[in-house]
Amino acid sequence: MDKIVVNKLDLFYGDQQALNNIGIAMKERSVTALIGPSGCGKSTFLRTLNRMQDLIPSVKIMGQVKIDGQDIYAAGTDVVLLRKKVGMVFQNPNPFPKSVFENVAYGPRIHGETDKKKLSEIVETSLKDAALWNEVKDRLHESALGLSGGQQQRLCIARLLAVGPEILLMDEPTSALDPISTMKIEELISELKDKYTIIIVTHNMHQASRVSDRTAFFLSGDLIEEDVTSVLFTRPAKKKTEDYISGRFG
Amino acid sequence: MPTRQKFDHELEELRVNILEMGNLVNQQIALAVSSLINQNLELANSIVVKDLDLNDLQAIIEEKCILLIATQQPFARDLRKLVAGFKISIYLERMGDLSVDLAKVTIRIGQDELIKPLVDIPRMSALVQEMINIGLKAYVDEDCGAAAEMALMDDEIDKIYSGVFGELRTIMMEDPNKVTQANYLLFASRFLERLGDYCTNIAEEIVYICNGKRMDLNE
Amino acid sequence: MKAHQADRFATIMLWIGSLAIVAILIAFLTLILGRGLPHLTSEFFNGPDGVRGQLFNSFYILFLSLVLSLPVGLGAGIYMAEYAPKNKFTDLIRLSTESLASVPSIVFGLFGMIVFVNMFGLGFTILGGSATLALLNLPILVRVTEESLRAVPRSYREASLALGATMWQTLRKVILPTALPGLITGITLVAGRALGETAILIFTAGMNVSRIPFDVNPLAAGETLAVHLFAVKSNPLPGTNADQIADGTAALLIIMVIVFNICLTLPSRWLQRRQLGRNKV
Ligand SMILES: Nc1ncnc2c1ncn2[C@@H]1O[C@H](COP(=O)(O)OP(=O)(O)O)[C@@H](O)[C@H]1O
Ligand SMILES: [Mg+2]
Repeated sequence: MDKIVVNKLDLFYGDQQALNNIGIAMKERSVTALIGPSGCGKSTFLRTLNRMQDLIPSVKIMGQVKIDGQDIYAAGTDVVLLRKKVGMVFQNPNPFPKSVFENVAYGPRIHGETDKKKLSEIVETSLKDAALWNEVKDRLHESALGLSGGQQQRLCIARLLAVGPEILLMDEPTSALDPISTMKIEELISELKDKYTIIIVTHNMHQASRVSDRTAFFLSGDLIEEDVTSVLFTRPAKKKTEDYISGRFG
Repeated sequence: MPTRQKFDHELEELRVNILEMGNLVNQQIALAVSSLINQNLELANSIVVKDLDLNDLQAIIEEKCILLIATQQPFARDLRKLVAGFKISIYLERMGDLSVDLAKVTIRIGQDELIKPLVDIPRMSALVQEMINIGLKAYVDEDCGAAAEMALMDDEIDKIYSGVFGELRTIMMEDPNKVTQANYLLFASRFLERLGDYCTNIAEEIVYICNGKRMDLNE
Repeated sequence: MKAHQADRFATIMLWIGSLAIVAILIAFLTLILGRGLPHLTSEFFNGPDGVRGQLFNSFYILFLSLVLSLPVGLGAGIYMAEYAPKNKFTDLIRLSTESLASVPSIVFGLFGMIVFVNMFGLGFTILGGSATLALLNLPILVRVTEESLRAVPRSYREASLALGATMWQTLRKVILPTALPGLITGITLVAGRALGETAILIFTAGMNVSRIPFDVNPLAAGETLAVHLFAVKSNPLPGTNADQIADGTAALLIIMVIVFNICLTLPSRWLQRRQLGRNKV
């Protein structure tokens, strides 16, 4: 089943067009990787999916983004509910300067959960789902900023899972991490895939080829090619894709 | 040198190595068949020795492919070139072994008088060599059309082989004294037929380099 | 090796600089406190020339000025940092606050006198003094607030908004707590200024003390400690021991400022620690 369907999406920063007529569909419980050189619009596209991009005043968006059949840019869309459903992990781990517990409990709290016992449960399951529980269970009330970079990133994922999203957007989630932490996040992604629809932007094509089911290649605001990952990386249909993944530019 | 150019350079070197290997194999086959026709034992022995060079070359190519896969982690055509290059080198190495086997037939037969004039074996050999030549050119040009056409020539070889098989069987049934040599010649033609099969395998690899599709040309 | 020597030299200079600051502070404290502390007797506070009234007025005016300036200053600062679009108008606001922040306080004093004392006809009042003080401190509060909020990483906002928080929730639960130390520093700064200010208060709150102890009437005149110090020293009344009173007042002022700083800083540290969890990094 298609979870996300994007149709004829254009995005402008002022007069400058950053996305050109993008059309793509993403299946439920699958991992889609977005690759392409810096500045090609991957992050911009990703952020149109949870409407983080239209926080920027100069942004104009045209076209359709349907999630579960609902156009998220239609008038009357509840952005808070949307962002609850479509969570985001950023390039640099950005836990709040609070304790580990408070970081994970933040989302449920702002969405109105006050019951202490329930919060504890949510925190525990979220940390377990993010494969972090064993490492932090004895330091839940210590500052999250004391965790390693890789742990911080998994904490951010736990914080996200705690609000009960269905779609996870990840913008270069491992580009600031060491290889071991990167591997852990990749393993986590392949586990989370059973429950969530995941879209990951990555500069690392090998990461894309390892973790994703389908891969989309962006180039200066255009979606050049989108295909099954194994096909795209061994026999891409477009010359531009071939040149990019062979390191001939970008 | 920028990484990509260095990589292109190394891929080019790999191609040169494979061409070198292909030409050497071609030469080994030609010499082996010639040693057989002329009952030239000295030539046959030199073929056996020369095969060591082929093995070395194959080891070099294999090493290069492994190193490039590990260091460049290639995708798409680059990846296909390396995987195909690796497999082609293995096929060529086996073809080298088959020419040694042919030379050994020469040695086994020794100076015994040939039981029949050799007509079909040189024909098969000529076909195999032509296939190799076309194949090497198609490999350089990455021309999958030429490769596929080359693979068709294998049918001709197979046909000749079954003719030879029938002929030698008749000879063996008619004269038990000729059984040993007829067997040797049967082996020789069988080796040539196998060489044709390897050529089609190489053609498949060339097609794979071109379009990433796996095709069975060995029909 | 040159770079190495330069590094050595710079380190030593910086070290000397820091040492000098500490030395000056110690000298300052020993001198002022040394001379003033012995006079801080009960008589000094409650006697006929006692400064109880001034002490009370100082805090009362400080309190009122903060009540008047904090909501506006913090509000404007928050608005400028978080909500204001970037355009000519907000640039103008920013420029205005910068300019106001550098206006000499005596000019504010004059302004306060014209407006509160003369135009409103209030005469010298605690209210007028507090309001003028608030005006003096407003630009600084706006600036400090805006800067502290801007110093909070953008990524915190993004993380919070992406979790479905509203801007208001984000502000309350993430941005303000993170900016708290900066805000406290700003408030301390402003409060210190208010406690020490004379020029403005002479013109607006006057140099008299109500006869009623702890008079909370904001329309009474109210001399503060700093003003008292100024008055005693510049115009000693015959028959009083002006120098002693001045020394005692100076010492008392310093103690007040220190106590006030501690009262603000300690709870904010504690709050931060609670926020951050154990092992603050
Ligand atoms: N806030 C912004 N205002 C104006 N232009 C922007 C903004 N964010 C991104 N862009 C432009 O949009 C293009 C795509 O950027 P981005 O989506 O960040 O690329 P990527 O994530 O693929 O590196 C770039 O040319 C960038 O300069
Ligand atoms: Mg990006």
